[in-house]
Formats: sequence, structure tokens, C-alpha cells
Amino acid sequence: MLALQQVSKTFTTPQGQLLVLNEINLTLARGESLALMGESGSGKSTLLHIAAGLEAPDLGHVVIDEQSLSSLNEPARAKLRRQQLGLIFQQFHLVPSLNVIDNLTLQARLAHKEDGEWSAYLLDRLGLAGRERHYPEQLSGGQQQRLAIGRALAVRPSLLLADEPTGNLDEQSADTVLALLLDLVKETQCALLMVTHSARVAAPLDRTFHLHLGSLKETKR
Amino acid sequence: MILRVVLTLLSHYRRHPGQLAMLLVGLWVASALWSSVQAINATAKESYARANALFSLETDQLARSDGIALSIDDYFLLRQAGLPVSPLLESSLTIENTRLTVLGIDLLTLPASNGNSRTTANGGSLTEFISPPWQTQLSPDTLQVFRLDRQQALGATPSIGEQRLPPLTLRNDLPPNTLVMDIAAVWALFGEQATLSLVTASGALSQPPEGYRLTRATSLASPEQLTDSFHLNLTALALLSLVVGLFIVQAALGLAMEQRMTTLRTFRALGVPGKTITLAILLELLLFGLIGAALGLISGLWLAGKLLPDVASTLSSLYQADVQRSLALPWHYWLGSVAITLGGLLLAGSGVLWRATKLQVLALGQSYAWRFSYQRQLMRMLQAGGLAGAITLGLATCLSLLPAGEGLVVSFSLVAALLFTCALCLPPALNALLQLLQRLLRRRPLGQWLAADMQLQLPRLSLAMMALLIALATNLGVSSMVGGFRLTFLEWLDQRLAAPLYINATPSTLTPLNEWLTSQPEVLETLPTARGNTRLLAINSAMENERNANESALLSSIAVFGISTVPTLTSQWPLLETFDGIPRAWEALAQQSVFINEQMAVARALQPGDSVLLETLQGAVWFTVAAIYPDYGNPQQQLLVTVDTLMQRFEGELASTGIVLHSEADTDAFRQALSTEFDLSPDTLVNQQEIKEAATQIFERTFSITRALNGLTLGVAALALLATLLAQAQQRQRQLATLWALGVPRATLALLPLIQLGGLALITGLLAIPLGITITWLLVAVINVAAFGWRLPLQLFPLDIAVMLLTAFSVALFAAALPTLQLWRTSPRALLNEETQ
Ligand SMILES: Nc1ncnc2c1ncn2[C@@H]1O[C@H](COP(=O)(O)OP(=O)(O)OP(=O)(O)O)[C@@H](O)[C@H]1O
Ligand SMILES: [Mg+2]
Repeated sequence: MLALQQVSKTFTTPQGQLLVLNEINLTLARGESLALMGESGSGKSTLLHIAAGLEAPDLGHVVIDEQSLSSLNEPARAKLRRQQLGLIFQQFHLVPSLNVIDNLTLQARLAHKEDGEWSAYLLDRLGLAGRERHYPEQLSGGQQQRLAIGRALAVRPSLLLADEPTGNLDEQSADTVLALLLDLVKETQCALLMVTHSARVAAPLDRTFHLHLGSLKETKR
Repeated sequence: MILRVVLTLLSHYRRHPGQLAMLLVGLWVASALWSSVQAINATAKESYARANALFSLETDQLARSDGIALSIDDYFLLRQAGLPVSPLLESSLTIENTRLTVLGIDLLTLPASNGNSRTTANGGSLTEFISPPWQTQLSPDTLQVFRLDRQQALGATPSIGEQRLPPLTLRNDLPPNTLVMDIAAVWALFGEQATLSLVTASGALSQPPEGYRLTRATSLASPEQLTDSFHLNLTALALLSLVVGLFIVQAALGLAMEQRMTTLRTFRALGVPGKTITLAILLELLLFGLIGAALGLISGLWLAGKLLPDVASTLSSLYQADVQRSLALPWHYWLGSVAITLGGLLLAGSGVLWRATKLQVLALGQSYAWRFSYQRQLMRMLQAGGLAGAITLGLATCLSLLPAGEGLVVSFSLVAALLFTCALCLPPALNALLQLLQRLLRRRPLGQWLAADMQLQLPRLSLAMMALLIALATNLGVSSMVGGFRLTFLEWLDQRLAAPLYINATPSTLTPLNEWLTSQPEVLETLPTARGNTRLLAINSAMENERNANESALLSSIAVFGISTVPTLTSQWPLLETFDGIPRAWEALAQQSVFINEQMAVARALQPGDSVLLETLQGAVWFTVAAIYPDYGNPQQQLLVTVDTLMQRFEGELASTGIVLHSEADTDAFRQALSTEFDLSPDTLVNQQEIKEAATQIFERTFSITRALNGLTLGVAALALLATLLAQAQQRQRQLATLWALGVPRATLALLPLIQLGGLALITGLLAIPLGITITWLLVAVINVAAFGWRLPLQLFPLDIAVMLLTAFSVALFAAALPTLQLWRTSPRALLNEETQ
């Protein structure tokens, strides 16, 4: 489903060059879930963004569904993102002008894949039922995070890229959300790449990787 | 501690220099336009005050009834009769294109109440003034004509042609471009060329002596009275730009405040008292106010300096009011300008201050309650709009009860109230519209986002949109008024100037000249005109019964203008209203009827068919008003009669003669013959083209300041919009980046802000059109009548309107294009990462 081949990324900052990713290789099959761990600032979000085609790697290739992102033009990449990817950002990036239900279904509607029943189910599972008409700023941090998760799931993506989706949740809600994510992976055979700090959250996933000083190492369990 | 708070507050602008620029631009513009107009007004006032101090307004003037120029014999005759008359010799000099009036006075006989009797107090001894080599008294601002400065001026004797002026003495209270000297000095310089007039102390003679007529000082309106409405117009425009400027300031302050809320909360959490924070904000405002006022004053003075010559020539050609061409500003002007800027800033900043005092240490989320509070704000706007609407209606009712031609201040207030009503209702209206759009576009996610996002931006944009609406509507109003006036005026000029050639000469030349013309074979027609004066004693209106002209009317004399009713003229002469048709009106004029100009009809509430009791040489006589004619550019009331009637019945003299030649006649040869026959100077003969050009020039000058201010105001509003949009460009990018991450292609993203802002500006522009048309109507049909006494037809210029709409649209597009451009240049992913500011 997803393959990173020899991906390198260096940021040029006023303070000098910053090598964040160094020849990373990673493959992720359908229905497979993978946890990405690493200390803060190690480049986890960067890797996720590169995998989503939001950012281009300096070297190497990203292949999604047998298509190399670098061979696609911008509209085609956007279409791929819209149709196949579910993105959960560390900072949520909800749309403040839209209410909960419109936010949740936004990507699905953009991709012409709206499914009312599915959305209602998600709202319910995420504990947001009854808050449909509320606006993002009226939600707590955890509720906003759950909404961001819902938005990614509403499209029924084939690849789900999640950046600390449980970072703002208490243990119990974290477990619920995690269960939901894993259910979905099983149900739709989608692939999940999830960044997390917590070994507890990483445990139920198929594999765990550590990012350290630009290289990726699988953690044996 | 307070210093630390202020410094931290100010540090915000280091990261957001755009906001600082917007704030200062707003303040600067508000204060610049206001202070420039006030500088012009103050300078004019000063000039009027000096003119008032001069003889002409405090003394009555005598002239011969038969129209022949006064001579020294008249003086002797009147003095022999024991009348207290004083001679005045008047001549003029042209130096470097500036016309200087030279007045020769006889201090020994000049009425004592007069400003000139102060001469001896300021200007040295009486002996120096009245004995050779005499003195030339002039105001310091006239010195530049002679290329002299104050140091060199005293005692200098500039040469004029072959002669030299008496030594110069400065006198601050003289009007600009006026030289005052002893009557003997003028005689020595100009001899027979100088014209003699005779003056007496105001009210000294109850009756004019036999064979003379008296022009009373009170009948001559002071320049201040005449030009009042002109200055009021300027002030109104300046006030408008002040308001627009303050809108920008308010928007900038609000934005900066919003973004600094977290900082302020942190301060409060760290133990800084609320009072200190309020005080710090106040200090910050004061600092900006002083910088803004200083910038505004400097550029305002520069602008005033640029505009003043045009204003001065307008005032002198329209009202014969002399205004100096360099600024003269009293101390209270400076104080007033700074006070207005600071006051405006505090007004605009009051909201911010209010928010600072209500600041809560703990606030949930960054703008948790904004949606609720904005809804409340919209409600308040709607209420304020309703109140303004009620005031508008009240003022309109008040105006409709006033007689036509009155209530200039009420009319301007009406325009202001109308503008405010619409401006206040604009954000709620836009909000409702966007709400509706959001519903309609539910099925189209991008469309829905477009409307919803716009609604979210509205709180920040609404002030700029209000400013834009006001500026667009006013711009439309003023430009249609000016454009309409231009068309009407030029057409009217064409109609009035029927003859191709005109002679302006003294009555003594014109009498034989008219005789001579009739015997010339080349002449097809002569169109003599005459000028005179009468007094309006009573009015018999068809509507009411006979009523006496009121007190002031009895005092004031009315100008009478005589024309000849030949077809060349009557077929073209424009009439506004007649009693029973145009041909009958002209027939009536040849008999016992008069025409009146629109100014008089408005001021006296007269209609065709009414009659007026006029003082004539044969006693009081009733005349019927047969028609009303337009008389643009004339500040005074006027009656129109035939030349014959005027010469027989009123005190008057020939004024000019228009000549129509046969088509095959040699015009140049004829002019030559005419000049040599009567020894005419070249400038007595003017052709129609020259008059038209001169009149058009006057017209253009009259409105150059209006147009300049108007254009500037629109520019300022555009700037306000641009600044506001740029200030939130960063935030826009984050919104767009989110959509991009969700799979909206960049090309689509680029279009979204263009549609949003272009659409909003277009809607505002479209709303401005009916408002602008209403304002045009108020300007031409109400304010113009009140200010100048004439009404203009309502004319609209679709091209101007289109240009106006396009301006608004392109500013919005330009501003919208910037975030888009940024989106293209930097990776949207970088934008996604930026922390919310
Ligand atoms: N656009 C950018 N320009 C320069 N440096 C960047 C940029 N984006 C990220 N970095 C740097 O790259 C490194 C990796 O950033 P990244 O956001 O991927 O870290 P992370 O592993 O997700 O950290 P965290 O766990 O705190 O979210 C950081 O040191 C960050 O400062
Ligand atoms: Mg991260």
C-alpha cells in the first residue's frame, strides 16, 4: 500500500542544515498497522507528511498504491489524497467556519464519498453525537482531536496517516479511539501508520518502528 | 512596570509591521485630509477678516445715476453741498501675472470707523503717509510678488515700468494683493488711468443726493457670508475622510488587540493590575496619536499648499473674494488639528480600551466566545443602524418642512446619517446573505466552505467594508454631481453666449459704440446688456396673499440684468419655468414683466405668475414674474429685464455688447476697425471661445479640490480594505492549507479567495450604487440649492459607476491574490505547521 524508498530530507534553517530523515525505507501492506515512535523533534511528523505527499523528499520515492508520488502532478496528488488518504494532524487543522458534522464530512463530500450512516456511526463511536451543530472552538481539545479522527475516517481511506491521534485523550477515550481505528483497519483492509509517544498505544499495532537520528529501526517485541 | 508592559505591547508591531503601517496610514490619512482642509479654511477666513477691515465693506459708495464715471467735479459738487464724502482712487498693476489692486485713500477725510484709519497707529506717522515720497502699505504675503523678503522689504521702492512705488511699509491687516497709499501717490503713479470713487461713512446719508445713487455697505455681502457654503462643502468632505481614516485605525487597533489578547492575559496572570494594562494601552494610543498627528499635519499642510492656489482662484472668480495663495495659520489651528487626531484616535480606540478593562485572566480557548459575541455585535450594529435610520427619517422630515434653499447643515447631517445607517446595516446584511448562501450550498462542500469561511472573516472585514461602502457611495455621489454640473454648466454657457464676439467697456464707451454698430453693414445683430440695481419692496404670490418683503430684503438690493430680446438670444436663452410657455414669456418680458434667476426664486419662494414690487426711478412698480432662468455660478439673486426697461426704470448702466456679424464678414478686420474707432484696449474685445474657456477653467478649478479630496477618500478606503485583507492574509493561508491537505488541488485553492473577496467587494459596490444615487440626488437637488441657490438635473454616468465598481473589485482581487501567491511560493505544508497566532 505504502512504500518509502531511500527517502531523505534535510531542512535548511538559518542555523544550518538539519538532516531529519536519512535514507528511510519502509513498506506497509493493506490491513497492516504500524506505530512510529521517537523522541520529540526526531522527524516523525515530517515522515508522515512526506508519506502523504504534503511534502516532497529531497531524495528517494514515495509509492502509494503502486503509484510513485513524484510521477504524479499536483492535481493528481490532490485527488489521491482526497480519495484514498485519511490524515490526522497533530494540530487537528479543523475548519473553524464549519460545524462538527460539516467538518466531519468535509473530505468525504469533497471526494464525493459521503455516507450519512457511516458518518452518524462515527459520530456516535467518537462520542460526538449531539454535538453536530457545534463549532470546533466550542469543543474541548480531546473532542477536537476525535473530530479530526472522524474526518479522516469518514472517507473510508485506504491509507490512514495519524499523527499522535491520542495525544490529547485520557486513557479510556484513547483506548476507545484506538479500538475504533484498529476495527476500521480490519474492516476496510486499510493500512495505518500512526505516530505515538506511548508504548501502550503502540502495543496493539502490528509492528513498531523507532526513528532516531534520521534512521528507522524496527523494535522487536 | 508600565514601561515594560508598553514595550511588550509595542513589540507586537515588530512582528507585524503591516498592522503598524495600517494604523499609522489610517491616522495619517484621517489627520492629513482634515488638517489640509482646515488649513485652507483658516487661511481663507484670515483673508476675509482682512478684507472686511478694508474700506469697501464699511462704507457706502456713491455713483452717478447716468452711468458716467465719477470725476473730480463730482467730488467738488458734493463737498460744496456739505456732504461728508471721501475720494478713493483705484487702479491696478499686473506683476508676474498677479493682479495687484492699488488703492489711493485720503486719510484726512476717510470715515473714522474705517480700518484704514488705523494706518497711523501701525504704519508710522500720518505725515509720512500723506507727504512725498509717501508710503506703500501692503501685507507681508504680497511681498513675494516683488521677490522681496521681510528684511529687504522695509523702505524698498520696487520699480513698476518706468516709475517706482513709494517706500514699502508692512501692514498685517491688509488683504492679499492690495497696495494702499495716499491718494496723491496714486495720482502721481497712474494719473487719469485711476478710477475715482466716492465713499461716505456707512449710513451717513439717508438719501442719495440728486443725480447719484448709493450702494449701501450692508447690501454688499461680506466674502465670508458668500463663501460660507463653499467652506462648509470642503469641511464635509474632510469630515468624510476623517471618518474613513478612523475606520482604518479602528480596524487596525482591533486586529492588534485581538492578537495580543494572550499576551495581556499572561500579564494579568503574572500579577500586573488591570489598571496598569489599560493605562499602557492608553499610552500606546497616545504615542501613535502624536506620531499620526505629526505626519498628518506635515502632509496636510503640503496638500493644502498644493490645493490653495486653485481654491483661491475659485473663490476670487466665483465670489470675488481674495484669498492669499500661501498658508496663514493661527495657533488654534495647530492645536485643533492635533486635538482632532487624538480625539478621533481615542474614539476609534475606545472599543479596544473597553475590552482591555473587561479582560478576564482565564479565557477558555483563544476565541471561545467570539461567535456569540460577534452575533451580539451584529445585533448592536443593527440596532445602531435602526437608530441612525430613525435619525435619517427625522432629518428628512425636518428638511421637507424647511423652505427650499434652507437647511444646509440639516442636509449634510442627513447625508451623514444616511451613510451611517447603510454602513451600520451592511455587516448584518452581509452576514445574513452569507448564512443563506451557506444553506443553499450545503450540497457543494467547497461552496459551503466559501460562504462559511467568509462569514468567519466578516468580523474583521466589516469595518473595511463599511468604509468602502461609504467611500464608494460618496465618490459616486460627488462625481455624478460634478459631472452633471459640468454638462449642465457647459450647455448653459453655450446657450447664454449667443454672440461670437463681446465687448466689455465702460458705459461711456458703450453708448456711442452701440450707435456706431447699428450703422455698420457687417453687423447682423447687436446684443447689448446692462447692469443695475433695485430694491425688492413686496411680493404678491399666487399662493399667499400680498406679503411684505422681510426686513433684510428691504435692506438688500437686487441686481438687475438687461438683455435685448432679439431672436438670436431668445431662441437659445435657457429657461427653467414659465407661466404660460416660452414664447409668451419673452413677449411678456418686452412689456411689464421680469424674469428672475433660480437663486432668487428659491430664496424668495417665487413662482412664475407671482408679482414683485420693485423700486424704480418712477417710484414703486409691480412687475409680473414671467419666467425663472438658471444662473449657474452666480452667488447672488438677479432680475432679468430688457435693456430698454433697465435704462428707463432702474439705476443702471450698459455692461457689455455682443456682436453677431454676417457670415461673410471679415472678423479680424472688423475687430481692427472697432478697436481703432473707439481706442479699445485688446482685452475689451473677447470672443465667445475665450469666455467659454475662462468659464470652463473656473469650473474646473472650483471642483479640483472636491475631486482631489474625493479621489483621496476612495483611495483611502481601498487602502483600508487592502490593509485589512493583508493583515489576515497569514490566517487565510492556514485555512487554505488545511483544504489543500484534504485534497483540494492548488489551482482550485487559488480561485477561492478571489471568489470570496471579489464577490464581497462586488456586493458592497452594488449596494453602494443606490446609496450613491440617493446621495447624488441630495447633493444636486437639496444641498446645492441650499448652498448655491440652484438645482441641477440628476445625471448619472454609467462609465464612472463601472470604474468605481471595478476599483473596489480589483482592490479586493489584488488583496486576495497575495495569500494565493504565497501559497504557490511556499509549500502549504510549512503553513500547516505554523502555530496559530
Ligand atoms: N519547515 C521546516 N523548516 C525547518 N525545520 C523544520 C521544518 N519542519 C520541521 N523542522 C524541524 O525538523 C525536525 C523534525 O520535526 P518534526 O515536526 O517532524 O518532529 P516530530 O518528531 O514530529 O516532533 P514532535 O514529537 O514534537 O511532534 C524538528 O527539529 C523541526 O524543528
Ligand atoms: Mg510531530
